[in-house]
Amino acid sequence: MPQTNGQDPLKREDLRINFFRPRPGFMRKEVTIIWITLAAWAIMTFGMPIHLAMIHSDPVRTLAEVPYIFGIPAYFWYSGQFLILWFIFLCFFFNVLIDWLNSSYRRRR
Amino acid sequence: MIESTIKYTPFFLLGCVLIVSLVVGLLTRQHDKGGYGIQVHSIGHAKIGAAIASNWMSAASFLGIAGVFFLHGYFAFAYILGWTGGYVLLLVLMGSQIRRFGKYTAPDFVEARYDSSVARVFSAVIAVVISLIYCVAQYKGIGLIFAWMFGIEYTQALIFGILVTFAFLMVADAIKASRNQQMHYLILILSFIIPLMMIAKKLGYNWLVPQFSYGSALRDLPTQVSSDYLYPWTFGTPYEWIALCFTLMVGTAGLPHVLSRFYTAPNNRDARWGVVWGLFFIGLLYWSAPAFGAFARSWMTTSGMVLDPVEALALADIIVIKTAEWVGLNEILVSVLAIGGILAAISTITGLLVTGAGTISYDIYYRLINPNANERHLRLVAKGATLVLALLVLVIAVNPPGLIAQITAVAFALAGNTLFPVFLLGIWWDRANKYGAIAGMLVGSVITFAPILFGHLSPTLRAVLPPTSSALIGAPLVILTMIIVSRLTPPPPEHLRRFLVEKVHSP
Repeated sequence: MPQTNGQDPLKREDLRINFFRPRPGFMRKEVTIIWITLAAWAIMTFGMPIHLAMIHSDPVRTLAEVPYIFGIPAYFWYSGQFLILWFIFLCFFFNVLIDWLNSSYRRRR
Repeated sequence: MIESTIKYTPFFLLGCVLIVSLVVGLLTRQHDKGGYGIQVHSIGHAKIGAAIASNWMSAASFLGIAGVFFLHGYFAFAYILGWTGGYVLLLVLMGSQIRRFGKYTAPDFVEARYDSSVARVFSAVIAVVISLIYCVAQYKGIGLIFAWMFGIEYTQALIFGILVTFAFLMVADAIKASRNQQMHYLILILSFIIPLMMIAKKLGYNWLVPQFSYGSALRDLPTQVSSDYLYPWTFGTPYEWIALCFTLMVGTAGLPHVLSRFYTAPNNRDARWGVVWGLFFIGLLYWSAPAFGAFARSWMTTSGMVLDPVEALALADIIVIKTAEWVGLNEILVSVLAIGGILAAISTITGLLVTGAGTISYDIYYRLINPNANERHLRLVAKGATLVLALLVLVIAVNPPGLIAQITAVAFALAGNTLFPVFLLGIWWDRANKYGAIAGMLVGSVITFAPILFGHLSPTLRAVLPPTSSALIGAPLVILTMIIVSRLTPPPPEHLRRFLVEKVHSP
């Protein structure tokens, strides 16, 4: 009876590693966590300059229309202060998830 | 801008600080020797973080960022975010995997993963060039500060600075003093923030949190200045901002000396949590750096000082010290800033020259030229290489090609265009092979240096690939090259791919 569930010992072992097609189990979950963190990283970092570039084209209109915090345009605070905090938070968030993933797999073994 | 008086206070303080750091280094070493067998004690994550931060903080962070903010306002945030966000990329994409791979220098990793000594030599040469460019920026900082300190010409100051660095390096090497990373970080951050608080106080802004009160300084700028200065795209297009930020991020993730130090932590988990603290400690500096630029602008407005663009450009890289001097800060506090800048530069240079020389003697000389060389011979080659590297750096630094932050950014562009793709695909794609890696590193080097060498011939080339920011286009192109070439050539050996599956991508 022919084997149908991929258990054929003669068939070459699957050694493929590909970020876009992660191996089931540990790697798939790890890659999911990476995707979430990377998305939160990319959107927050590059979203602001793209937003500023798309909506406002001339200095006078930009400075008249953007929100101000403590008297200067909010994008200064966003890029100079908030985003660094956001990066720290992302690393924290990533570490918590990876710790959880690692401990759940170590228990299983 | 030559002032003919020699400033004795900073000179005296600098001597004291260098001697103290040697003594502490000596004591730390003896302490380590006494503790046989208990070296694997659990080091706090904050301590690892402070070591990451002290290894990171160079003249580019200490002097460069404030200068760019002073000149280009919002554009400086591309540097700040590139140099912090890069750690997210490193941690998320490669941190644990490279750690599980078990090779922590770029040439070691490349040879092990791609099974090729040719690829190893390529990556070694690239690592040395990155160190070289990085050092040029540091030497510019040292030259400027010594010129300010002694009231001498930049070139003289540069040579003198190199002599001081070498004397320090030789003494440290002779007595085998190791650097106490945590103390080093503490000295750097305090010598940056305390003078800043005093500057804020002198100017009448909230001095407790100058990181926020510099907003008030910007708000107080007269309208004809602020309408230009506060607009995000006065000094660079959105494309330039994004390209620069992205380049610095991938460069951080591919920078060899960041990677090596990253793995001195005892285990994977400690290394990961160390990054969180490291980022916080680096953040303390970057939250504060723009304040120097803002306070400088504010002072110029109230005092009626006007700088033409050439003067402003010449002052930008020591604006941190100039601001303190302008507002009339105590001479000791001004000296503290100057010494912080010198310390940041010297420690970066010693680290880079030593690893650069090691790479030349081992990865290039021993592996490629003379496999029969003995240990003594290799040490001699390393010493000679240090000297040659330092001379090369001197030759380039005599006519610095840009601001400190900009020169440093070119080193990041090279790392982002070559080592980053090689690491990334090496970890996340089993099919990447040596032909792909070599082709990728070649293409990446061409993309990095083409705009520098031929930019003056073609404005389009310079606009699409600015020398500081070539990795936004470069890195994806190199990744594409690696994929195509790897697909056209035979796959890497099975034991490597099995290693990736079983070791690198398993918990």
